[in-house]
Amino acid sequence: MNIKSLKIKELPILLILLLLSLIITIANPTFLTVENFLDILKSNLVLAMMALGMLMVLLTGGIDVSVASIIAAVTVITGQSLIHFSSNIFVTILVACLSGTLMGLVNGLLIAKLKIPPIVATLGTMSVILGLVLYLTNGAWITGIPDSFIEFGRITLFSFELVDGRTIGFPVQVLFLIPVIFLTWFILKKTVIGRGIYAIGGNLESAERMGFKADRILIFVYSFEGFLIGLAAVVHTSIMRQVDPNAFLGFEMQVIAAVVLGGASVLGGFGSVLGTVIGVSLFCVINNGLILMHIPVFWQKIVVGLIIIGSISIDMIQKQRVEKNKIRVDVE
Amino acid sequence: MGRTLVEIEKISKIFPGVKALQNVGFNINTGEIHALIGENGAGKSTLIKILSGVYQPEAGGKITMNGKVLEELTPLESLRNGIVVIYQDFSLFPNLSVMENIALGHSVEKNDTLVSWKAMEAIAADALDQLGLILDFHVPLGELSVAKQQLVAIARALANNAKLLILDEPTSSLSKGEVKKLFEIMLSLKKRGIALLFISHKLDELFAVSDRFTVLRDGQYIGTYSEDELDDDQLISLMVGRKIEYTIYPKNKKEEPLLEIQNFSKKGNFQDINFTLHKGEILGLTGLVGAGRTEVAQAIFGLNPVDEGTMLLDGAPLVINTPDEAVKAGIAYVPENRLQEGLVLRKSIEDNISLSVLDSISANNGLVDLTLKRSLTEKWMDQLGIRPNNPQMLASKLSGGNQQRVVISKWLATEPRVLIVDEPTNGIDIGAKSEIHQLLRELAASGLGILVISSELPEILAIADRVAVMRHGRIITQMFCEGLNQEDIMSKAL
Repeated sequence: MNIKSLKIKELPILLILLLLSLIITIANPTFLTVENFLDILKSNLVLAMMALGMLMVLLTGGIDVSVASIIAAVTVITGQSLIHFSSNIFVTILVACLSGTLMGLVNGLLIAKLKIPPIVATLGTMSVILGLVLYLTNGAWITGIPDSFIEFGRITLFSFELVDGRTIGFPVQVLFLIPVIFLTWFILKKTVIGRGIYAIGGNLESAERMGFKADRILIFVYSFEGFLIGLAAVVHTSIMRQVDPNAFLGFEMQVIAAVVLGGASVLGGFGSVLGTVIGVSLFCVINNGLILMHIPVFWQKIVVGLIIIGSISIDMIQKQRVEKNKIRVDVE
Repeated sequence: MGRTLVEIEKISKIFPGVKALQNVGFNINTGEIHALIGENGAGKSTLIKILSGVYQPEAGGKITMNGKVLEELTPLESLRNGIVVIYQDFSLFPNLSVMENIALGHSVEKNDTLVSWKAMEAIAADALDQLGLILDFHVPLGELSVAKQQLVAIARALANNAKLLILDEPTSSLSKGEVKKLFEIMLSLKKRGIALLFISHKLDELFAVSDRFTVLRDGQYIGTYSEDELDDDQLISLMVGRKIEYTIYPKNKKEEPLLEIQNFSKKGNFQDINFTLHKGEILGLTGLVGAGRTEVAQAIFGLNPVDEGTMLLDGAPLVINTPDEAVKAGIAYVPENRLQEGLVLRKSIEDNISLSVLDSISANNGLVDLTLKRSLTEKWMDQLGIRPNNPQMLASKLSGGNQQRVVISKWLATEPRVLIVDEPTNGIDIGAKSEIHQLLRELAASGLGILVISSELPEILAIADRVAVMRHGRIITQMFCEGLNQEDIMSKAL
């Protein structure tokens, strides 16, 4: 298969990632420690899972700004379910994924059936869902998550001892991310619906002419993203051990920034799972670097905005160049 | 010659106000290259859209393929029956690889859940093999040249088991060498028994490969002729014999130059454009769609700045880079699609007419002087006879002819010396057309120089004093209209 062209496509981002890591390590050697690496991994699992959902959305040529509201809602539902319903991990996953999928489904139906532009539809659901969450919780934290669930969240894998005697290891939540990466890759690469996602992002009219049911694909994509947000909510709750309804304010921008950093086009059609994984890593390293270099946290927002505007500018410039080449009269 | 593959019988299509096709019927055989020709608006595109299931024909029409009647054809059904259209934009996916572009349709058609990259590779290899093409499978399609993308589109058609391949102006963006290659491929497909319906305006190309010609004119079937029955001249006279009778206005030779265009060139648009528009003259600018007429008009109006060339107004050099400068210099442009580009449908007649002169009817404080606006509107409504006589009437409620008048008034309000109108009577009924013709003649009589862009040759012959014919971005000839007929013009445009 086209491993060759894949490698070439993602190579520049990978190089930037390595170069940036090198610069940060020189500025602050703490960066290149196993401990910092595991820290970055643990605090960005949620971002990574949501980014993979967002990748699919961007591939169709859409966008979803409601993801932060949805995960806020799902963490609240998960917290309440853990406290009042069942602390069983499987039940919790089921509840979280079901509620996430349902909210994604609403987005999908609005976009596919009513043909509301994705940005408008998801801005609307973003506001509605966040409003409901704040109304029902009064913005108060949910504490008192059952111990069994907290214990589950503390499990580490491949643990080993550091020189100073502390034990560290991979967080158990990695077990959620790895299947999600594989599943997303599998859908995009190996299923007809996955190729349809690329096709409708590349040329919607032709995709429909070819027999793809664009509305079904869109509904699937937004629902799948909701499903991933459900899993991410479980991961988040198990790491934080409490629920803050305001924890995700503005998080959608970070998710979008991470995906476009990985080479996905906001105009649809271009982007890959590998690219997104690298993009998320790059984004995390930038964030971590800003912290390690003691740059005020407000800069994070500025960087996120610049990344999004920069990536979209590149897309638009490329598109204009293509259009320019297209419009021409054959002068003899 | 092969047997009959497709029988087209009594196909009609009526759009509001226009009979796009009337009782068209002919056969297409296997293993033939069948040319479909006609002027702009003759109904070729409509027929293609009916064959490909995009439009439904009116009741009574019938399409039979291999003896089976194709009813209620949808795009997907049409494709399943082996009717494949290669559109001018190819309908491909720039972001997917060559292989997927060719073979993905298979998986969709079989309703597969999983894609088999191996199978796709085999299908793509087979299709490219049949065409004798060597292409890298894994390159994203968008990185290929237009000519190669077209070949990929043809390969995809083969992978879809095309029986009837419809090529819509396939040579329009190819170089000479690429055209030759395409023709070789068309001939090899013909040998395999595939039927090709070939749409082109270039007569030499049509004669180079076609076995038979079907001519459409004004939505009507004129006839099907085999290649040895016809020559260029006969074909042209079959295409242009339109019978629409307009009032023919007397032609005048005007001497006083108004607007002189010298050596206008723009890469990829047009080249070496030279003409002079005189005071009180109507100059027709014609040619096939895509010949570069509108591009020239937009260049004069500052919408499409030229790479080189000069423009003189009353003998004085004039540089125009924006429409604003053009309006100030006394040039007005009424665009082709008056509804989309020239008229704000949800605003009143008054709002529309005053739109181009808001500056001059505004007081010093920047607010519009409503009394001035009303008197201006009434002046033009009166002069152009816009009905109903109600400045508050919404533009969307007016008839086509009156809408066109409102757009023209809007531009006349800027008090231009040069008026450019692009397809002024496209899509309006014949009565309204005659009125617009009369209006344009009256405006010319008042001293305006008018450049009329039109594909409709009878219209040019009716109102223009002179005509300039464009082909492939160049002006091929300029003629005085007295005594000309449609063939004289069409033979230059093709």
